[in-house]
Amino acid sequence: MLFLAPVMAVLGAVAVFPIAYSLYISFFSIKLTRPNRTPFVGLKNYTDLLGDEAFWGAVWRTVSFSLVSVTAIAFIALLVSLLLNQEFRGRRILSTILLVPWAIPYVANALMWKWIYDSSYGALNGLLYQLDFIDKYMVWLGDQDKTLFLIANAFVWKEVPLTTILLLVSLKSIPSDLYAAARVDGATVWQRFVHVTLPAMKPGFMLVMIYETMMAIRHFDLFFILTEGGPGSASHVLSWHIYVETFRNLSFGSGAAMSYLLAIATFALSYLFIRTLGRKI
Amino acid sequence: MSDMPITPPVDTIDYRRRQKIGRIVQRLVIVVSAIVLAAYILAPVSWLVSSAFQTETEIVSIPPHWIPEEPTLRNFEAIFTAGNDEPVTYETRSGADPAAGDFIPSTAENLLPSMANSLIVSILVVILNLLVGVPAAYAIAKIRFWGRNASVYFILITRVIPDIALVVPFFLVIRKLGMLDTLGSLVITYLAITVPFTVFILIQYFEGLPDELDKAARVDGCSRFQALIKVFLPLSLPSLVAVVLFTFLTSWNEFLLALMFTQTSASQTLPILLASFTSDFTVSFSFLNAAGVLAVVPPVIVAIVFERYIVSGLTAGAVKG
Repeated sequence: MLFLAPVMAVLGAVAVFPIAYSLYISFFSIKLTRPNRTPFVGLKNYTDLLGDEAFWGAVWRTVSFSLVSVTAIAFIALLVSLLLNQEFRGRRILSTILLVPWAIPYVANALMWKWIYDSSYGALNGLLYQLDFIDKYMVWLGDQDKTLFLIANAFVWKEVPLTTILLLVSLKSIPSDLYAAARVDGATVWQRFVHVTLPAMKPGFMLVMIYETMMAIRHFDLFFILTEGGPGSASHVLSWHIYVETFRNLSFGSGAAMSYLLAIATFALSYLFIRTLGRKI
Repeated sequence: MSDMPITPPVDTIDYRRRQKIGRIVQRLVIVVSAIVLAAYILAPVSWLVSSAFQTETEIVSIPPHWIPEEPTLRNFEAIFTAGNDEPVTYETRSGADPAAGDFIPSTAENLLPSMANSLIVSILVVILNLLVGVPAAYAIAKIRFWGRNASVYFILITRVIPDIALVVPFFLVIRKLGMLDTLGSLVITYLAITVPFTVFILIQYFEGLPDELDKAARVDGCSRFQALIKVFLPLSLPSLVAVVLFTFLTSWNEFLLALMFTQTSASQTLPILLASFTSDFTVSFSFLNAAGVLAVVPPVIVAIVFERYIVSGLTAGAVKG
């Protein structure tokens, strides 16, 4: 028990306490603009949120961002992990290269994509122009319909490596005699994939989906650097909303209420996560 | 694929030929997708690097120069000599874009100090992680006690709390403690993010080591603690390396919490300084890219050098969750 004490103390202080504390302050109206008056308002912060269009807009955008990026991540990572599960020359080099996006700080990743999407000198414009796909430079991040996709693209690029490695683990755990048996039974490549590979990958796949969903829901850095929630409110997601509410409007009570809701949502997801892998723990 | 003959040749279908074609197609698919993947991963980074070595005139050429025609080190010189009083000037960018600037930001001189801040925070977080995480993982893996499963769940759950949900309460507490704008605030909060991961990787590894080791050490008169130090730690070196790397990279890359808690160069980390450059429209593009390259190089080198440990560490964590 003595061995566990430090970890419990640390996690209690840095994880459990803040969550409990954020529940507590979510019942107060705390505004730094009037620091001396912090009246207890009960559930008002929450009920205000329920009627707040900006909040629901942010929730909706968070959901669509997560759906788009997680689907893309899972699909690309599936293809890449199948590729890296093959033996070929240069495979080791390729898997080393794969670590590059994973190691790059999120902020540097955001800076890089901001530069690629740049409306005047960016690589995306340059490339599409040289290939004759566009006839004039576009203001990519100024387009309401495209912004969320462009941010998702930058997110996918960064997340695919980790996901691939996780999927590769499940692929490697498939015993090779399963394939041999399927081949003897005359299964085609496609049939082997559908009946042997996919079912064996299911647990790994679930893990990846849930983990990446949590990452997407909470993601902040790209929104901060690429668009600041814009243009208009096109990329105004929940994490950005919490940031604006708390640190620009200095409305800590309402920010805490939202944080708390987000924590509950992620707890729910993590429950799913535990249930999926539960037996193995 | 194996070369095992499937059936004896039948006269109508040439199986050998079919198999050969199949192999060629497979080879082709692999080669093409490997090239596409490498390009997908490397293209954005190479462009960042290429831009960092271009002059300001070259970087605004349309269409862009993919490879610098007059490579220059001036951006890096500007960063590394920023502390000196000698001003660094850039030629003006095209007249068509007067709003955009060509300046080295005055905060450029904070770049190296902010790297030092990142380094200090990361190292402290690594050390604290090991101090706290190793005993916990050992206890969970090797000691049967009441509440063992509950502890695992507890640690797992703290791992999934989003940082953004921690930000508000953290901010209020840290302000109350008078720790805003100190490296200490970052060290404390980064523990919340990294400790669960550390414990998970180590549990996985310790469980793989035979229980007999523990018993033998105890019979020889070691206390639990001595058994851990003398027997388990030396054996678990690979997973310790993985833990150190993860923790280090996470701390080096963290942005959100640092954004909230740091205000001046006394505690700003590299990601924060980088972000402050990007929001300044007068900053030279090539300088910005050079700063980006500086932020990318250390973690990428670390990742590539220790590739083996990272992959094994991730996979260990993956099997267990």
